[in-house]
Amino acid sequence: MALKALDIYKLLPKKNCKECGEPTCLTFAMKLASGKVKPEDCPYLDEKAKEVLGASTRPPVQRVKVGVGERSFAVGEEIVQFRHEKTFFHEPGIMTAVSDRMDADTIQGIVADVRDHILVRIGLDLRLNGIAIRSESGSPAAFAEAVEAVEAVTDLPEVLMAEDPAIQEAGLAVCGNYRPLIHVATRDRYREMCALAVKYGCPLAIRAPTLDTLAELSGLCTAEGASHLVLDLTSPSLHEMLNSAVAVRQHAITRTSPALGYPVFIDTRPSRLPDAALICGVLKFGSILVADAVSEESRKAFLVLRQNIYTDPQKPIQITPGIYRVGSPGPDAPVLLTVNFSLTYFTLQGYLESSGVDSFMLIVDTEGLSVLTAVAAGKLSETLVRDALKEFGVPDLVDHRKLIIPGYAAPLSGRVEDETGWKVLVGPRDAADIAEFLEKEWT
Amino acid sequence: MTITTLSDWTGQVGTVTLGAMKADGGTRSATVTIGGERDLSFIGTPPTGHRPLIAYELCDDPSLWPAPVTRFLGDRASDPAEWARWAGEEYTPDLIRLFLTSTRKRGFSDFASVTTTVENVLQATGLPLIIEGSNDSDLDSEVFRRIGEAGEGERFLIGTAEAGRYRSIAASAMAYGHLVIAQSPIDINLAKQLNILLREIGLPHDRIVIDPYTGALGYGFEYSYSVMERIRFAALKGDDDLAMPMISSAIDSLTVKEVREADPSVSDRISVAWELYAMLPATIAGASIVCVRHPSAIQPLRAGIDGLWSAPAGKGGA
Repeated sequence: MALKALDIYKLLPKKNCKECGEPTCLTFAMKLASGKVKPEDCPYLDEKAKEVLGASTRPPVQRVKVGVGERSFAVGEEIVQFRHEKTFFHEPGIMTAVSDRMDADTIQGIVADVRDHILVRIGLDLRLNGIAIRSESGSPAAFAEAVEAVEAVTDLPEVLMAEDPAIQEAGLAVCGNYRPLIHVATRDRYREMCALAVKYGCPLAIRAPTLDTLAELSGLCTAEGASHLVLDLTSPSLHEMLNSAVAVRQHAITRTSPALGYPVFIDTRPSRLPDAALICGVLKFGSILVADAVSEESRKAFLVLRQNIYTDPQKPIQITPGIYRVGSPGPDAPVLLTVNFSLTYFTLQGYLESSGVDSFMLIVDTEGLSVLTAVAAGKLSETLVRDALKEFGVPDLVDHRKLIIPGYAAPLSGRVEDETGWKVLVGPRDAADIAEFLEKEWT
Repeated sequence: MTITTLSDWTGQVGTVTLGAMKADGGTRSATVTIGGERDLSFIGTPPTGHRPLIAYELCDDPSLWPAPVTRFLGDRASDPAEWARWAGEEYTPDLIRLFLTSTRKRGFSDFASVTTTVENVLQATGLPLIIEGSNDSDLDSEVFRRIGEAGEGERFLIGTAEAGRYRSIAASAMAYGHLVIAQSPIDINLAKQLNILLREIGLPHDRIVIDPYTGALGYGFEYSYSVMERIRFAALKGDDDLAMPMISSAIDSLTVKEVREADPSVSDRISVAWELYAMLPATIAGASIVCVRHPSAIQPLRAGIDGLWSAPAGKGGA
């Protein structure tokens, strides 16, 4: 089990020498507990303590990097089963599949789309991550050609899906220097696959019929020197996939089966339910997901779901405070106050847009708290509103002095009026009712 | 050794049965039971408890309903009874969830229509029903009394009770033998508090379904996802005041920007994607009833739930 900060502290020299870069041994212990520093950073740790700390502070799911360059990505290093316990760290890479039976133009069309497609949301670029090349022809030459076709148009990370070591090596001969994921080693031919992984310095996916045999195979592969492994839990049954992935995560983080402490690989094709398999993979511990090209709508929904699930639940997403315009508001347009919790912002913005009323949104800094929480915690106050009106020059934007506040901020209405001199209108609690409210109250 | 999932849970989610057939004083052609889980959703072969169900949502005033659905439905949307019959027969959801949106229009006073609408929908479909009444404490008492009375003995699930306004709904449920949806704003503590309040006025736990409130995909869905996981976790750890099954409905799914502004030619596909990508995750987080509005979302959601539920034939699973 992972050690707590205080247990770690007991093993430290307690000199507070600051040579590790931390102000005290206790802060070093706390950072070590959360995996932010390494035991070796402490120059005075004795060997025994290093051993104990090394084993228990190493992330229970090993980090594995795929690809090189700008679009390369790392997975693993996860430490919890539920995102609310802390957060999930590395979102899964989704690899769009092509086949060595496709002609080069088809392959390059798919690859270019993966390379260039960007969905921008909340200021972040959401994209698919790479290309998986399936060996379906059974020919090393055809596989190499397909890999060449991909390489010709992109440096995206790749998965080489060829179980036959000869075919695999044909692919590696083309792109082996760019750290593709080698897929897949099974018990039959793991030595040859491990040798390829070692030769090219590539991560290796492994597959076995049960979790017990998978753990055994993982041990055999590391003994061969292939230490960057991912566990292939692909199954035609979503039920089996989910159960295996949950078991692997549980055994990894409790360190009951360290041989399963590796990221999970899932090919969505055998399930015949690509959307459901992607959903299952992104929620329950998939780190590398292979999918045949999905519809534009599924891709959008998938990218947003992944962003949602991998958002750090400890940090509310915030919007920069300020004045935001909906449509082209003039001096007689309503001013609606709300908080800088991005969800609140986007919800209100959406309903204002659909109301068709040009308006100003005055976003004040409640440190990302929602209206209800901000009012309860005293983060939304009359002085904050007064200062925001002034700071963002609202009196110069409009020729009226009326401010609409959220329904849940109603208790503040009197104090805001006193402090700002503006007339306060209490709006609805639910942003969905804003159109009706404006129609009735703003004429 | 055989490596399987680790389960050291001590608690269990309670079971709740919706709908009543003739022998029990109702007119439904089937009843459904939810809850009973002793582990995380879909975990174990076979999984514990009951398979999650799909409720199809419709309303009695489509002017307040998302455009992608009303476009798809055409004239059917103007008659809730016909809408319910058609959806039940063509798309085979497990439940129908009727929103009496007419009561949410300003100046509503036609209380007799509540009775008529509920009776008509009861006639039109044999599926167990969820009925959503008014959203205004001035109307609640009369609206929920009428809902309760029109469905006496049918074991409706009625909603939505919140911390500020739950008495009318609970009173109707207790007087006429129904169940209650208890909604709290994405907060496990408030969910628990409301369940305690309901218990204290006499509504037993086996007649409560928790609605933790579900934000749409991209609009806070992750908060709802985690609060559902936490509620399930609490139930499995033995907290009886959180051990009720959950209902999840991302009611804003079809009004979010991505769907609203989509080209009409892809409106149906994006609607289905936005509902599927929130509701299938909700079942994995722990929801026992998930709700959709676009009829075409029912089939892929059903396929996903069935795939997650069933062990492959002839195999013992992981």
